[in-house]
Amino acid sequence: MANNPSQLLPSELIDRCIGSKIWVIMKGDKELVGTLRGFDVYVNMVLEDVTEYEITAEGRRITKLDQILLNGNNIAILVPGGSPDPE
Amino acid sequence: MAGTEEESAVKEPLDLIRLSLDERIYVKLRSDRELRGKLHAYDQHLNMILGDVEEIVTTVEIDDETYEEIVRTTKRTVPFLFVRGDGVILVSPPLRTAYIE
Amino acid sequence: MSGTEKSSGTTKTPADFLKSIRGRPVVVKLNSGVDYRVASDTSLVLSHIGVGILACLDGYMNIAMEQTEEYVNGQLKNKYGDAFIRGNNVLYISTSKRTLAEGA
Repeated sequence: MANNPSQLLPSELIDRCIGSKIWVIMKGDKELVGTLRGFDVYVNMVLEDVTEYEITAEGRRITKLDQILLNGNNIAILVPGGSPDPE
Repeated sequence: MAGTEEESAVKEPLDLIRLSLDERIYVKLRSDRELRGKLHAYDQHLNMILGDVEEIVTTVEIDDETYEEIVRTTKRTVPFLFVRGDGVILVSPPLRTAYIE
Repeated sequence: MSGTEKSSGTTKTPADFLKSIRGRPVVVKLNSGVDYRVASDTSLVLSHIGVGILACLDGYMNIAMEQTEEYVNGQLKNKYGDAFIRGNNVLYISTSKRTLAEGA
């Protein structure tokens, strides 16, 4: 990482999100919003007070979860600050 | 290396598979495939050798006119086969506990 | 999975989470949308350790569960006495009992 123009590693950005809301967009039709409690080198994440959105043929299915360990394998995008969607 | 307690304990998930060697197991695979057969061998990827296998393939078709879902299951038997581990979703060993539905 | 642990009270790494769910009911959701939970009236679940404890989990998120119920689209489809779930299929492991809302 000799020439990182932003001077901020992606993992540092995620680290700064600990304790606040984060919006996770998965590969495929799934999104989650929750409070980030921690993560590891694979970006597996511990999330709290989670709302899971699944886009299905019948509409949007919403699941509320207290605390989860999210597998980092299928994460596409992380947005600090949570979803712009009003719940 | 081990006493009997050591051999029968489940300390990591793969121990569950180890304890199922030479027993009939149920395997759920991707693309709606299920297998039942006797577990002869396995490795850490969950590649498996099964014997005396029954394979069940489930397909869902939509009827062109009524739009009803038509669920079809196809069964066949295979004397001996190799399962590549990356297709495995779930393995359920025979019941060792007294759990009854 | 270690080495990055912080002493801050609000931080909980995946390793911490796995330790904390010992002996608690969990819901395991797969990428396919299928989910697995422990049969409702039991509290025997995941553990890293212990002789005689039957349910556990490893670093690949491979999971051994007991008294598992399989749900597809919210409908109970199967029950297994013991079940091994290959970690690559796991979307998340949750501590909670879920609530559902359809539509919107």
